[in-house]
Amino acid sequence: MISLWSMKKKEDAAAKKKPKTSAAQIRVQKDLTELDLPSTMKTYFPDPQNLLSFTLTITPDEGMYKDGAYNFSFEINNNYPHEPPKVKCTQVIYHPNLDLDGNVCLNILREDWKPVLNLNAVMTGLQYLFLEPNADDPLNKEAAEEMRRDRDQFLRNVRVTMRGGSLKGKRYDNVLASAQ
Amino acid sequence: MAESTMANGNANTSDWQDRYYHVDQVLDRPGPRTDPSFAAGEGVKDFLRNKCKILVIGAGGLGCEILANLALTGFKDIHVIDMDTIDISNLNRQFLFRPKDVGKPKAIVAAEFIMKRVPGVKVTPYYGKIQDKDDDYYLQFNLVICGLDSVEARRWMNATLVNLVDPENPESLKPLIDGGTEGFKGQARVILPTISSCYECSLDMLNKPTAFPICTIANTPRLPEHCIEWASVLEWPRVHGDKKVDTDDPEHIGWLFQVASKRAREFNIEGVTWSLTQGVVKNIIPAIASTNAIIAASCCNEAFKIATSSAAYLDNYFMLIGTDGVYSYTFQYEKRDDCPVCGGESMDISISKEWTVERLIDTLTERQDIQIKKPSLSSGDMHIYFQAPPQLEQATRPNLEKKVSELVKDGGEITVTATTLPFSLSLRVTFT
Amino acid sequence: MLQNESQDIEQASAIVQAHAPDSKTRRYDRQLRLWAASGQAALESARILVTSASATSTSILKNLVLPGIGHFTILDPTVTAPADAGNNFFLNGFDSVGKPRAAEAVPLLRELNDSVEGVADTRELESLLDSDMGREWIKSFSLVIAHNLSAKTLDRLAELLWEENTNPPLIVVRSAGFIADFYIQVHKHCVIESHSETNPSLRLTKPFPALQAWADSIDYDEVDPTEHAHIPFPIILIKEADAWRKEHDGNLPISYAEQKLFKAQVIARQKKLDEENFEEAEGQAVRMWSEKPVSSDISTLLTFASPAETLPKANYAFHALLETLKLFVSHPNGPGALPLTSTLPDMRTDTESYVKIQKMYKEQARAENALFKKILKEAFPDLSIDEGLVDAFVKNAHHLKLIRGRKFGDFDRQRTELQSGLEIFNKEVATHVALSALFNLFSRGSDPTSITPESLRAEVNTLVGQNSAPLNEEVEEAIDNAVGEVARTPTADIPNTAAFLGGLVAQEAIKLITKQYVPINGYCVVDLVGSWTGLVGQPPA
Repeated sequence: MISLWSMKKKEDAAAKKKPKTSAAQIRVQKDLTELDLPSTMKTYFPDPQNLLSFTLTITPDEGMYKDGAYNFSFEINNNYPHEPPKVKCTQVIYHPNLDLDGNVCLNILREDWKPVLNLNAVMTGLQYLFLEPNADDPLNKEAAEEMRRDRDQFLRNVRVTMRGGSLKGKRYDNVLASAQ
Repeated sequence: MAESTMANGNANTSDWQDRYYHVDQVLDRPGPRTDPSFAAGEGVKDFLRNKCKILVIGAGGLGCEILANLALTGFKDIHVIDMDTIDISNLNRQFLFRPKDVGKPKAIVAAEFIMKRVPGVKVTPYYGKIQDKDDDYYLQFNLVICGLDSVEARRWMNATLVNLVDPENPESLKPLIDGGTEGFKGQARVILPTISSCYECSLDMLNKPTAFPICTIANTPRLPEHCIEWASVLEWPRVHGDKKVDTDDPEHIGWLFQVASKRAREFNIEGVTWSLTQGVVKNIIPAIASTNAIIAASCCNEAFKIATSSAAYLDNYFMLIGTDGVYSYTFQYEKRDDCPVCGGESMDISISKEWTVERLIDTLTERQDIQIKKPSLSSGDMHIYFQAPPQLEQATRPNLEKKVSELVKDGGEITVTATTLPFSLSLRVTFT
Repeated sequence: MLQNESQDIEQASAIVQAHAPDSKTRRYDRQLRLWAASGQAALESARILVTSASATSTSILKNLVLPGIGHFTILDPTVTAPADAGNNFFLNGFDSVGKPRAAEAVPLLRELNDSVEGVADTRELESLLDSDMGREWIKSFSLVIAHNLSAKTLDRLAELLWEENTNPPLIVVRSAGFIADFYIQVHKHCVIESHSETNPSLRLTKPFPALQAWADSIDYDEVDPTEHAHIPFPIILIKEADAWRKEHDGNLPISYAEQKLFKAQVIARQKKLDEENFEEAEGQAVRMWSEKPVSSDISTLLTFASPAETLPKANYAFHALLETLKLFVSHPNGPGALPLTSTLPDMRTDTESYVKIQKMYKEQARAENALFKKILKEAFPDLSIDEGLVDAFVKNAHHLKLIRGRKFGDFDRQRTELQSGLEIFNKEVATHVALSALFNLFSRGSDPTSITPESLRAEVNTLVGQNSAPLNEEVEEAIDNAVGEVARTPTADIPNTAAFLGGLVAQEAIKLITKQYVPINGYCVVDLVGSWTGLVGQPPA
C-alpha cells in the first residue's frame, strides 16, 4: 500500500465518531441561518427539527399584490445544492407566473439553477414575482393576456381573486393577510 | 436484502504456477519512475493477494468491469454493494449478466460470476444501499472504488470517507477511486480524503440534466422534449395526483408518450417518440461497453498501483473524450478551501464543563484567529443555536443558557456556520 | 367509473403494444442513442478477424460482441498456457490450460450475445500469408485487429492489407506492462455522421429569400411587446446586420471593436431589461463574423474531390458525393454555400414563430437537397446510390470528415519525423519508439530475458538515428523512462492495460465500422504509469 500512512494497525479503530451531517444539511443550515429577510417574508418550520421542509410567506407591501399573504412550500432533498429546492405555491392564486396547481415559473428554480445560488436568492426571486409580474413568459396564460390587454381589468381581477372570489368559473383562495 | 458470503477454493491451492506471470513482472522489480519505497517481491504480493480488502460500489456498467479487473490482477477479498436488479437494457454492456438474470440483484449475480470464473477470489455481495452501512463497515477496507451513476450516492460515499478520517488513526484514510462515463466520454479520479480534492470540490463542474423553463413547457413548446416535460411535469401530477411516475412501467411511459404526442400534434411539433419520451423522463445517459472498459480499467489500475506502490498513482483526475479521435487530459483538480465536505477548518477547543452555549459563542466571536461573526451552531441533528430565521432563533434561544456539556459529549463535534466563514468550521470540544 | 377504468387500461396496453420497443431495441437502447439504427446495422454486418486470443485481444472482442457485431474469428494456433489462464477473463481458469486458446475463448465470448457468430481458427497467420487462398481469406473480413504480433509477421500483414484500398482496415495493438500504443492502418476513411458538437451555419450573413422577407416584414416599433420579446434571434441578427451594412459601406463587423459595437447595437434594441431573445441574439452575434459559406475544414476536404473518371474504387460513393458537393457550392442556381442545415437550435421564441422558422429552414433545405440530387444525377448518371445515404450526406455536409491514413510503420521509417516528434511530444514519441524497439528485438529472435534498458536504448538509437544532434535532457529522460518501463515488463499483458486497450480499440473499431464519430489518425500512445494517453505520428498534411 502507498506509504501515506504506516502499515501497522492501531488498536482502537473505533475511536470517536463524528456526527453524521450531510453536506446538504450543513449547506441548508448555512443558507437559513444567514438569511436576512425583509419584514415582508417569513419562514415557518412545521417541524423545527427538519430544516429540509418549510414554508415561506410573502406579504408584499407594494405593487398589485399588496395586502395578500402568499404561501410557498419548500422541499429540499439530500442532493442540494446540486439540485434546486422544490418550491410550490400552496394556494390558488391569479398570477401570470403561477399556475392554478401551484407551479412557479422562476428561472433559478429550474433551468438557471446553479449550486452557488442559495435559498436567499430563491426567496428574493419569488418576492420579485409579486412586485413585477412578467406577462411575456407566462404560466397562467389568461392572466398574462389580461394583464397585457387591460391592466385595470387585470388589477380588478387580482383584487377579486385575492378576496377568495371566482373568476370565469374558477374559485380562488382568500389570501388577504388580514384573513390569515 | 440478503448478505451472503461465498468462497470457493482456497486462495493458496488455486494459485497455480505462473498464474500471475504477467502481473508479477510489475511486482518483481521497479520501473524507472517507481517510488523508492516500493518493496518488490513476495511482501507486496502477499499484501495484495492475502491481506488487502477492497470495496466496489456499484455492480453495473463500471462495476462489472471493475470486479473482473480486480479479480484478475490478484485482489482476492472483494466486497460489492449494489441496490439494483438487472434490466434488459443493461445487457449491452454489463457483461456478467445474461437474459436469464433479468430481475435478479446485480451484486449477487456479479459476485457469483466472478467467483466461478476466477478461482480463489472471494467476492462478498451486499444487495442494498450504501447508506445501510455504518462507519465500522467502511473502516474495514483498504480502498474503495466507486462506479456509480448517481450524483447523490457519490456525494454520500465521498462525504462518508472524508468524515471517516481521524487524524490520530492513519488507517482511517481510505483512498477513493471514482469513475464515470457518458457515451464515448468518461473520467476517473483518485481522491485521498482530506489530502486531495474530493468529489464535492468539483460539484460545480458537473453537467446537470437539462431543465426547461416551466413557462416554455406550459405555453410556448418548441421541441418534442418540451411536450414530453409537459406530460410528465404538469399533466401527470394534475391527472394522477400524488402517484409518482414509475419510469420502468411501460404503461406509465405509454401514457406520457400519448399525452406528449397529442400536445406535439396540437403545436405542429415533430419528433415525439417512445424512445425520446423514455430518454427524457428517465434522464437516460447513453452507455457502451468500451467506454466503461476504459474507465473501469483506469480505476482498477490506480487501485492496483496504490495497493502495491509499484508505480505512481494518478494525481488526481483523468478525463477522456473519444468522440473525435482519442483525447484525454490528466491533471490535478485543486482542493477547494470552501468545500462543504473536505474544506472548511476544524479546530479543537477545550472549555470548562460549566460553560454555557452563550459563553462559547462569545468566545468564538472574540477570538482573533478565527473572527467569526454571528455564528450558528449544530451538532449532528441537534440545532444548538441558530441566528436566523426568527422561528428557529427563538426555538434555540433557551439553549444559550444551557451548558455545552449537557448538549455535546466530550470529544463531540460542533458544526459552526457564519457569513464570515467560507463554509463551515468543525469544532471538536473537550471539557476540562 | 369501473368501465372507464377498464377502458383506460385497454387503451394503455394498446399504446404500449403499438409503440413500446421490442426486446432487441430495449437491449441495445443505451447504444442506439449514440449511433442509431444505421450504426447498429453496420455493426451487425461487420466481420472481424482478431489474430490472437491474448488478454488484450479478448478484451477488445468483448466490447465488440456486447454491442452486437455480426461475426468474429479468433486466429490463434497456441494452446492455453498457465500464464494465459491467469490473466484472461475469457478462459476457464486452470481448466483451459493445455487446450487450444482460441477454442477456449470463443464460447465464453459468444455467451455475451446470442446474435453474434464466433469462430475459433487454429491456423498459423504466417502460413495463411504464404498462400493466395489464405491472403484472400484475410482480406474477406471487414476489419483485422492484431495484438503483439512479431514485427516481421506484422509487416507482412500490414503490407498485404495496404496493397488495395478496398482491403479491410488493420488495427495494430502493441503493449508491454503499463505501456501500449495502437494504430489504424486505413487508406481513406469517410465519416458522414461525425456527431460534431459545433453548430452548423444558419447562413445568417446571406439569408435565403423567405427568411430575409420575414426579417424585412418586422418593424420593432409596430409589434406588440409580447411579440417583440419573442422575435427569434436569427431574425434579429439579420435585421441588425442589414442596419450595420447601411452604415458601413455594405460590410459586416470585422475588427474586435466593431464586433463589440455590433453586439451593443443588438442589445440596445431591448425594450425591457429581461427580453431574453435579444440577449440570445447578442450571444449568437459571433455567427455574423465566424460563419463562412463553406467552413475551412470542408474547403480543405473539397480539395480532395475529383471528377468521375478518376474516382477511387474504395469509398466510391463518398467521393462521388464529395465531388457533387464541390459542384453544388459553385453551381449558378445554388446558394454558393454548403447545403442549408434543417435542424435548428432551440431559441427564445413562441411556438408559432419557432414552427414557422423551422418550416422555412426545412423547405429551403429540401429545395437544396433536390438541387444536390439533380447535380449528382448529372455528374454520375450510372451511380446507383441509396437515397438515404445521399440525404445523410447533405444533412451532415457541415461536419464531414475524411481521414487519409498511411501504411503502418511509415512513421518509424521517417527519421526526421521521429526526431522532430521527440522534440515536441517527447514522452509520447519516446513511448512509441520504445515499443517499436521491443518488437524489433523480438522479431530478430531476442529472448525476453535479454531485453534490457540498454538493448532497447540501442535499438531506439538505430530507429531515431544516432547522427542527429544530441538530444536534450527532457527527451533523454523520456526515453529512459519508456525503455526502462518496457524492459521491466517485456512480455506482460497485464489485465488492467488489456482492459484499457480493450475499451479504446473497441471504440475505434466501432467508429470505423459505423462510419460515425471520428477515429484517430496516427498512433494513440498509452502510459498507465503516468495515466495519460497521447497521439503521435499523424500523417503530414
